[in-house]
Amino acid sequence: MAWEQIEWVKAASGLGAGLSVGFAAIGAAIGEGYAAGKANQTLSYRPGVSGEILKTMLVGQAVAETAGIFGLVIAMLMLFSPAAGKPVLTGWAYLGAGLSMGLSAIGCGIGAGLPAGSACTGIGRQPRASGQLTTLMLIGAGVAQSTAIYGFLIALLLLFKSLPEAMNWVAACTLLGAGFAMGFGGIGPGIGEGIAAQNAVTSIARNPENTGLMTRTMLVGQAVAESTGIYSLVIALLLVLST
Amino acid sequence: MEITGADFVRGLALLGAGLAMGLGAIGPGVGEGYAAGKACEAIGRKPEEAGLLTRTMLVGQAVSESTGIYSLVVALLLMFVVK
Repeated sequence: MAWEQIEWVKAASGLGAGLSVGFAAIGAAIGEGYAAGKANQTLSYRPGVSGEILKTMLVGQAVAETAGIFGLVIAMLMLFSPAAGKPVLTGWAYLGAGLSMGLSAIGCGIGAGLPAGSACTGIGRQPRASGQLTTLMLIGAGVAQSTAIYGFLIALLLLFKSLPEAMNWVAACTLLGAGFAMGFGGIGPGIGEGIAAQNAVTSIARNPENTGLMTRTMLVGQAVAESTGIYSLVIALLLVLST
Repeated sequence: MEITGADFVRGLALLGAGLAMGLGAIGPGVGEGYAAGKACEAIGRKPEEAGLLTRTMLVGQAVSESTGIYSLVVALLLMFVVK
């Protein structure tokens, strides 16, 4: 396999961009589709509050979309950075960045969509609590996005890291391993925090006077669910900074 | 590209560290989130039991966290012990 350096870097930027935006799109689309489905289901028996439900659905979908947009940004950065004169290791860093961003966005897209869906159902049940429901939905979905932001951070670190000129197998595996650690590590906390937020939103739709207690419980639960995401971030940072 | 045997082992150990921590984080994340979600649902039904439910949620999450910590330990071993 005798490739020129520039061809390998170009090929890796294409593959990395595909991984980044392709995986990120899975999560964002599932989350948004879930929110839209719940909104339609609620409208079937509560057509009177359609304006409020539509607004909440769109706000929730916009939050779920951010993970997809992160994936797109990383893909564009890879595709449109010049490949000439870059060391061979840049290609491996691109693959790691694509994995880190794409995989971590799967969980966050799904996780942000779950509270959006239950907020739509909740507004159908308690139209007067729509302000509290939207606020709690945004807090919960925002926390669920955090691992996508870690993935974005690791991807940017990988993209803009200055790498040694010579090819080095250990460094190549390190860059790829950082992508795997943060990428897969972002899936679980994203989905789990989304489930926590989903049920918290459902609960305040049933009992709006409990908003304070519910926000507190949700945040404690999400903080524990976040822990493995933070372990992944630590491992990924150790790997990136050791090359 | 010349890869020595020791480099090959070290490289794959680092890749394995990434896979270990990454895949190992999926389960605890989803499971702990599920526990938190159900605790929120239960407190919504019975707010006066919030203390008991939060305690139970944290105990359950601590158990579910254990595999995440195993992954962290294995990842650190692969990074700093395997040469």
